[in-house]
Amino acid sequence: MDLSQYAELFLAESREHLSACNQLLLEWERTPANPAPVGGLFRAVHTVKGMAATMGYARVTDIAHRTENLLDLLRRGSRPATDELLQLLFRARDALETAVELSVVGREDELDVAEVVADLEGAAAHLAGPARSAPVAAPAVEPAAAPGGGRLVQVTLRAEAPLKGGRALLVLKRAQGLGAVQGVTPPQAAFESDDFDGRFSFRLDSSAAAAEIERVARGAGDVEHVSVGGEERRAAGPRAAAAAGAPPEATPEKGRHIRVDLRRLDELMDLIGELVTVRGRLNELAAARRDPAVDDVAIQISRLSADLQAGIIQARMTPVWQVFDRFPRLVRDLARELDKQVTFRVEGKEIELDRAILDELGDPLLHLLRNAVDHGIETPAERRRRGKQPEGEIVLAAVRERASVAISVSDDGRGIDRARILDRARREGLVDPHAEALSDDQLLRVLARPGFSTADAVTSVSGRGVGIDVAVTRIRALGGSIDIRSEVGKGTSFVLRLPVTLAIVRALIAGVGRERYALPLTYVAETVEFGVQPTTIVEGREAIVLHDRVVPLVHLRRMLGVSGDAPPRCPIIVLEMGERRSGIVVDGMLGQQEIVVKGFDPPQGTLPVFSGATIMGDGIPALILDAGGLV
Amino acid sequence: MSDAGVVRLLVFRVGNLVCAAEAERVREILPRLAPTRIPGAPPVVAGLVNVRGTLVTVVEGWRALRQPEPPGDAGPGTTVVLEVGRGKKVLGFTVDEVVDLLSVGGETLERRQALPGIDPTLVRAVGRRAGQLFVVLDTDALLTPILSS
Amino acid sequence: MSHTVLVCDDAIFMRTMISDILAQAGFEIVGEAETGSQAVEKYRQLKPDLVTMDIVMPDMGGIDAVREIVKQDPDAKILMCSAMGQQALVVEAIQAGAKDFVVKPFQPSRVLEAVQRVLG
Repeated sequence: MDLSQYAELFLAESREHLSACNQLLLEWERTPANPAPVGGLFRAVHTVKGMAATMGYARVTDIAHRTENLLDLLRRGSRPATDELLQLLFRARDALETAVELSVVGREDELDVAEVVADLEGAAAHLAGPARSAPVAAPAVEPAAAPGGGRLVQVTLRAEAPLKGGRALLVLKRAQGLGAVQGVTPPQAAFESDDFDGRFSFRLDSSAAAAEIERVARGAGDVEHVSVGGEERRAAGPRAAAAAGAPPEATPEKGRHIRVDLRRLDELMDLIGELVTVRGRLNELAAARRDPAVDDVAIQISRLSADLQAGIIQARMTPVWQVFDRFPRLVRDLARELDKQVTFRVEGKEIELDRAILDELGDPLLHLLRNAVDHGIETPAERRRRGKQPEGEIVLAAVRERASVAISVSDDGRGIDRARILDRARREGLVDPHAEALSDDQLLRVLARPGFSTADAVTSVSGRGVGIDVAVTRIRALGGSIDIRSEVGKGTSFVLRLPVTLAIVRALIAGVGRERYALPLTYVAETVEFGVQPTTIVEGREAIVLHDRVVPLVHLRRMLGVSGDAPPRCPIIVLEMGERRSGIVVDGMLGQQEIVVKGFDPPQGTLPVFSGATIMGDGIPALILDAGGLV
Repeated sequence: MSDAGVVRLLVFRVGNLVCAAEAERVREILPRLAPTRIPGAPPVVAGLVNVRGTLVTVVEGWRALRQPEPPGDAGPGTTVVLEVGRGKKVLGFTVDEVVDLLSVGGETLERRQALPGIDPTLVRAVGRRAGQLFVVLDTDALLTPILSS
Repeated sequence: MSHTVLVCDDAIFMRTMISDILAQAGFEIVGEAETGSQAVEKYRQLKPDLVTMDIVMPDMGGIDAVREIVKQDPDAKILMCSAMGQQALVVEAIQAGAKDFVVKPFQPSRVLEAVQRVLG
């Protein structure tokens, strides 16, 4: 049987269970006296074990098996968590994760699990106590001594048969179909022991021929040998009553899901894109024809393709917890390592984003969280000196805003020392040598410069900047933006704004000369009219004042090198990305529509203000302006 | 291109030059499509066109080969869609007209590079068709520098 | 006519694999369940010829599901899917009315043998 086809499924599902383990362990750590998470842990590890055994991954199976044993003891004993126990379980979980990842790429052998396995064994033996650590002596099989009437049946199961006790019970059940069974030796309770060796006997009160008894017994499977003896008198007492099973605890029902390869969704999305384009063309044709029958069909197709499109976009939506769930553990480990005390809160876990975007967010968030623990949060002693709680707080929150999602990483730590950054930025010529202060905006620009955060800067500017250039670049590539707010002594907060989906967006179509450009509505705040609004000059840039705020202007015609003059009165599209705003002056507005975002290979020299292109209803491409590049 | 064996070539005219490209690099031949200008790109880039839902950057053939601009009454022209680099990227290349699809023995092509009116680094070989010389273009050398990285 | 099967396991991985093994042998997979209570409910609806039942599942475990199903239909043919080291649980499941068991990791031949024994 070819197992490789199942490897991907194994990996995805194991990762899910191991992520759940992290959450459950953290939960247990928070409330050590409450053993509720242990049942879930046991089930998750058990499932991973079963899957791994099926795939033939011996290391995973081994670690999982031993972890499961330990968890089983904990579960039965309803024991509170100790720090030592939790550390061991975290380690075991991590070892499992590594083993899973290595196994699917065929590198299982690289893993050394001896230490964690030994520790798991040790902990289990300690918990089980002397009563369980000594093997239960199996009662000797003395067929001749079996009491009761009927014919003596002696059975030996195959040596390699798994779970021999279960198999023996099946033999007994089948035998019962022929007559009363008595004098089971060893007693049935021994069947439940792992030491049961597969040899047993019983007396069967039946007139069936020996061959028939043997056939029935063998029918239970895994039977090596059966011998059927002669009749004896006397009957024995009733069989022991079956033990009652402990009811498993209730957990909320899981949603019904199937897994779909993201590439399939991308293909579907491309097809829908084509459909949306053709739909646009059909609408234009229908409008030109003025034929009610064609109109009807066009309207129906519009409605259907809109539903289809919404469905596909929905299918791509993934709750942010799928990425966020690994952070509590990370923050905890980092805080321990650095001797900080940190409470970590996650808000808005259920907010959804396009999977393609979400998949890219892990690294940037990791950078920001690491910075927050390492450089944002002070040591407990320093916090006390400053009159703060010794325990710092980091919040990771997702909030839906219009057509975008804002994800913030905030800490209540020491904040960024602007004077130092300004000093350094002045010396490196990054800002005007006479600049007196840095705005939040300038601060981010300075921090996000690759190379600014040299080792020297790390210590002198409390390390902010490590990885921030990486985060900014990544977020910008996704059509998003980053804002920073920081106050000395109070803390720092980074806000990432991202479009909900990359594939299809609603956009304004702006005209400049004879050219058309699409501007996603995600960041469009409003439109006002140029030539009506008075303009001023702020910091050398033309700007308007809107709602008491300065909005610098960008003349698209000039920026894109379109020849000719702009009309005297024309629209300004006001873009807003967090705190930053910009007014884009265009010649005219040609309407609003859904556009399918497509990539293209930009030739040398292409202005860095396009996030892609789309195909308009007439089949002609239009470039999509990137709000992040304009604001 | 091996010396022996048969090579298939698409022969086309750009201005005064008769050129050829290896047919296995040609994805398709389309009538000239109205391109969308890409701001910032050099003049040799005509713009972006839609080839059945895929966006393709088109290079103006006469500019790339330093030929005179076609007169206004010259027909609409043709766009040849070519694979560039190891087949990873696709670019459009405008020509005045497609002349022929030839199968020639590798030995009939001359490894000559110096030819009046064309940069020798763009010439892979020279062939002859109906008594007329044509240039087999090194399309990668011609087009790769136009794409950014 | 092919036999109908209800596959119960909380891991999609396991359900997929069992379904593949049985479907290739000509069985018709009529339903899947990922908890014990779903298994009981689906058994009521589908009346399959055979049920494969995982022991450890959330919500309601496999053994309790066996008890419930056997209460509804004493002739129900249930094959337990067990892991190594679950001797006691397998014994309990058989006492509750399961007809046979297979042990993970599954070998298709072992699974099919067990199924033949159960359908007898």
